[in-house]
Amino acid sequence: MKYLPLVWAALRRKPARTLLTCFSIATAFFLFGTLQGINVGIAQITKITSVSHLIVMSRVNMGSPLPLAHASQILSVPGVTAVAPIDVLIGTFQGPKNPIVVLGTDLQAMAKISSDIMIGPAQLAAMARTRNGVIVGVTVAKQFGWKVGDRIPVHGLNTTKTDGTSDWQFDVVGTYTLQQPDWATRIFANYDFINEAVTTGKNQSFEFYVGISDPARSAAISQLIDDRFANSPDQTTTANEKDFLESTLAQIGNISFLVNGVVAAVMFTLLFLTSNTIAQSVRERTSELAVLKTLGFTDAAVQWLVLAEALILALVSAAIGVALASRVLPWVTSGPALAAQGIGAMHVPGPVYGAGALVAMLLALVSGVPPALRARRLNIVTALSGR
Amino acid sequence: MAAVVSLQNVVKSYTRGRQRVEVLHSLNLEVQSGEFLGLMGPSGSGKTTLLNLIGGLDKPDEGQITVAGERLDKLSGSQMAAWRARHVGFVFQFYNLLPVLSAERNVEVPLLLTKLSRSQRKTNVAAALALVGLSDRASHKPTELSGGQQQRVAIARALIADPTLLVCDEPTGDLDRESAEEILQLLTILNQKQGKTIIMVTHDPRAAAYATRLLHMDKGTLARDETRSAA
Repeated sequence: MKYLPLVWAALRRKPARTLLTCFSIATAFFLFGTLQGINVGIAQITKITSVSHLIVMSRVNMGSPLPLAHASQILSVPGVTAVAPIDVLIGTFQGPKNPIVVLGTDLQAMAKISSDIMIGPAQLAAMARTRNGVIVGVTVAKQFGWKVGDRIPVHGLNTTKTDGTSDWQFDVVGTYTLQQPDWATRIFANYDFINEAVTTGKNQSFEFYVGISDPARSAAISQLIDDRFANSPDQTTTANEKDFLESTLAQIGNISFLVNGVVAAVMFTLLFLTSNTIAQSVRERTSELAVLKTLGFTDAAVQWLVLAEALILALVSAAIGVALASRVLPWVTSGPALAAQGIGAMHVPGPVYGAGALVAMLLALVSGVPPALRARRLNIVTALSGR
Repeated sequence: MAAVVSLQNVVKSYTRGRQRVEVLHSLNLEVQSGEFLGLMGPSGSGKTTLLNLIGGLDKPDEGQITVAGERLDKLSGSQMAAWRARHVGFVFQFYNLLPVLSAERNVEVPLLLTKLSRSQRKTNVAAALALVGLSDRASHKPTELSGGQQQRVAIARALIADPTLLVCDEPTGDLDRESAEEILQLLTILNQKQGKTIIMVTHDPRAAAYATRLLHMDKGTLARDETRSAA
């Protein structure tokens, strides 16, 4: 610790250069933290998605609605235990700054299908009693300060009601949570309440959630459902949630490879930048390092001072970058569109902090060792004579 | 008086380009404890090379160098560094202070190599700065000090570890007349009142006049040795 003033002094020697290098490293580690967070978030989505229930969508277009009448036919397929339609009401809460998505569904059926959704029986009963009731995820409830008994005014953006307005009133009758509570971001309303009030898109469902008795038979049951509508004008495509998500992600590409590739490229570039900065700093301080040796600092001590300088610069900058990522990532991944999909805020996971520290140390060592060795080999007489 | 510096048949040469140039030729010298030795001579006569050897910054090609009881030609690099920290204080022509550190931090640097606590270091630094008359400039950075003041800080840094020997390479070479006088008087006080052995390289006859013994070097040999009364 007593040598810290010397290291600090070296870093302060050219404050603008140190700050710019710090900014570069922090930016790289911000990217590192953010991309790793997204990587882990996507892995988390894949992990929590289930093979125990199916999603039925239009074969023509993911956004095209299906007739509600499909529900009873799906329910009659052997192996299907429950069907829940999904209607989507897009609107705003207390002004355009708060866009929200309300999902109209049969929550009794949904609770049977998605065992990960934790709702108390009393709240389910309250939902059945209250036509304009909503069950809200604990995260969205916390975000807007909602509690049971609150009335939520929603201004609809994608549909008009039969009374000619676009204003909806929902009563909060309960909350639900998940094993990962900050992903409890959906707002569930009664399908019938929304369906009866809308002027367009009546008796339609954007997708159906389907419960099945045997997850091992999900592919066979999916095929049976799709076969059932093979000659219908509203053909379906069915997959379990996990397969569906993985096929969607596969269309984007190998996300993990892309993320790691970007991070590796950034770190590789950063290596040259940091190496150059430290090397330049040592070159400029040749006589100062020689003076330290003159005063009795050993070659090894001077070498460690230079390495410590590289380590402190890299570690502090990396910490700033990853800390910033930990603040920004949840903020940018908590939009209403993702929330409606049940995807909550993504976070920089704990291991990424450790990995970041290791990468920063590696960066410091690789970029700091050559100038540190140069400082170690510095000949006092030559350096002081300016040769 | 005991010899604090003893050189026997010391040879030192440098390689410049493809040429090997012998700078010191079989040099013999003894410096007694408490002496204020001035080294004079034309450029290239070997003054600074001799100073570097005595200060443990360089090693001879041949011969023996004993300073403060230690055979310097036998020490390893790290042993030499430890020896320098304990026994030698250096004062350079261009001060060689660390520019981003305050005066007190500069003076403290040699003490970082000791086991002294922070408060002890602070006390010693205050005493050293008081000795050179710069207590009121402790928090100033070198760029905020005049040349004479910077050199005084350098002297305080050289003295802080209470070395056996002060090695000064043209300490007044970059100073105006008045500041140079102040520095030389300070060195004289350190020599006469504290008994410090001082070896000073200089081109300036007025600076040399402060030395109690004057060695004239020429072409790598000792040309003349004068012992004189202090200025």
